[in-house]
Amino acid sequence: MSFYVNYKDEIIKAIFFKIAVVILLFSPQVYAINIISNITADTPSLSVTQLRRIYSMRQLHWQNGTPIVVYVLASNNPLHQQFCKQQLRLFPYQLDRIWNKLTFSGYGVAPIEVATQQELIKAIKLTKGAIGYVDNLSEVKDVNVIKIDD
Amino acid sequence: MLTSLKLMIRPSHVSYCFVIVLCHLCLAFTLSASEVSNKSLQVHGFVAQGVIDASGSNYINDDENLSFELTEVGINASYQLNDTFRIAGQAVYLNGGNRYHEGPRVDYLLLEWDAFHNDVWQASFYFGRVKNNHWLHSSTRDIPFARPSIIIPQVVYFDGFRDIAVGGDGAAVKLRYSDDAIGEIDFNFSRGESSISDDQADVVIGKLALGTIDHDLDAQASIYWRPPYSQWRFGISALDSSFTYDRVEIDNFFDGDFIFQFYTANAIYEGEFWQFSAEIFQERFVTSGFYFPGFHRDEIGQGYYVQASYQLQKDFSLMTRYERFYANKDDRNGAKLSQSTGGLVPSYFGFHHDTMIGLSYDFSSDSRVSAEYHWMEGGARLSPIVQPNPIANDSKNWQVWAIQFMYWF
Repeated sequence: MSFYVNYKDEIIKAIFFKIAVVILLFSPQVYAINIISNITADTPSLSVTQLRRIYSMRQLHWQNGTPIVVYVLASNNPLHQQFCKQQLRLFPYQLDRIWNKLTFSGYGVAPIEVATQQELIKAIKLTKGAIGYVDNLSEVKDVNVIKIDD
Repeated sequence: MLTSLKLMIRPSHVSYCFVIVLCHLCLAFTLSASEVSNKSLQVHGFVAQGVIDASGSNYINDDENLSFELTEVGINASYQLNDTFRIAGQAVYLNGGNRYHEGPRVDYLLLEWDAFHNDVWQASFYFGRVKNNHWLHSSTRDIPFARPSIIIPQVVYFDGFRDIAVGGDGAAVKLRYSDDAIGEIDFNFSRGESSISDDQADVVIGKLALGTIDHDLDAQASIYWRPPYSQWRFGISALDSSFTYDRVEIDNFFDGDFIFQFYTANAIYEGEFWQFSAEIFQERFVTSGFYFPGFHRDEIGQGYYVQASYQLQKDFSLMTRYERFYANKDDRNGAKLSQSTGGLVPSYFGFHHDTMIGLSYDFSSDSRVSAEYHWMEGGARLSPIVQPNPIANDSKNWQVWAIQFMYWF
């Protein structure tokens, strides 16, 4: 009986694995998103709410008092779009709307937009209090990697 | 000599020079965006040009011809002085035909003081010329790519009051709170006054009024709430303002006082493909004097709009809107208005309705074209409202269409 149950479990696992492979093959590219900051931020982890607060410009300083400088890629960049939906649980146009409202009413500033991940990584390394996101950590050095707690 | 110089420097020349300078600044900052994008200084701007046509009214122009008076250019800068203080300013050039006076404006110019902040609270004070941040689209009403349509809902964002409603010289405070249990709450309060130029006064009270109008008081408050991780946001606002009209010795009108109070409630839903928003309001407009000594009128108007947009494809979206406004809630068809003026003012000046459809296409993340068509009914949102013009606006039903290209950085 137990042999039958184990055999059945194995079949179910194999089916789910194959379905997952097919879904991944036919889905838009999925990135592994990593949040990085300048080493002056000195923050090992953030909650989703805190990250969302930082990117909607509601939290402007780190815990140690250092001003936060937010970097982003263009709103039509696939990595940015996935970051918004997956990490912030916001649609990219919602962030654009918040930033435009702040910028063009004078009540705040928008994040600094850069063209490529390389530029973003360089800016994070060089700018005190900077935060951003990348899809690959293997070539990124001298930055603080922030864990996002659900 | 001074007089001749003043005559030589005509306002249209100044406006022309201003818009050229603004365009050059936009181009210069776009070309050297990387140089100015350091963390203390931010520079942004926009350029938009369109074509617009209104038939059956003088909403855009008196001859009702196709018009290119749909130009909006703006540039702003923000500089972080230190951890606590920031300065910011924006200059715009607007040309909307008869909708508001054509020319350059300093949209805002302010000093921000970050008075208090912690993980959940943020309190900031703003001093100088501050923008109206209280209604759903008030702070971005002139920003072509950040507003919902080319012509925004006139029932709330009446173009004739644009220069008064857009903001004023004074101070504002913004309190922001957010946590996992309550969500996000924003409280805004502002107090200030607008200086009304002769050109702006012509739009508000008409050219036959030769005196001056002063904005005495403007106090506004609003509160917005977004539940935790919700796609809905809700808001309410209140405005109290007063104006004084001082006649000149030989004038068609008399000294007068105006009180304008405005209360709104709004809701917005932001889904992945669908967006909905609505604002409902009640206004009180009191006129004392002005038409003749002893004249007194105290009217309560009501209105609302609902709009929806759907993202058909990644860069292509459709939208529709339905607006209703009654200048006097006790005279919804305008019969009493017409009767009180002996039939000089037709009854359709007692309301304004609009049904609109539109579309927009994004060429890139910084350029777009929008097009829309409006079926309008009534004349209660045609300037100047204190002197309705039934000769130029002899149709109860009139239409507007517009196409506008926009670029921003």
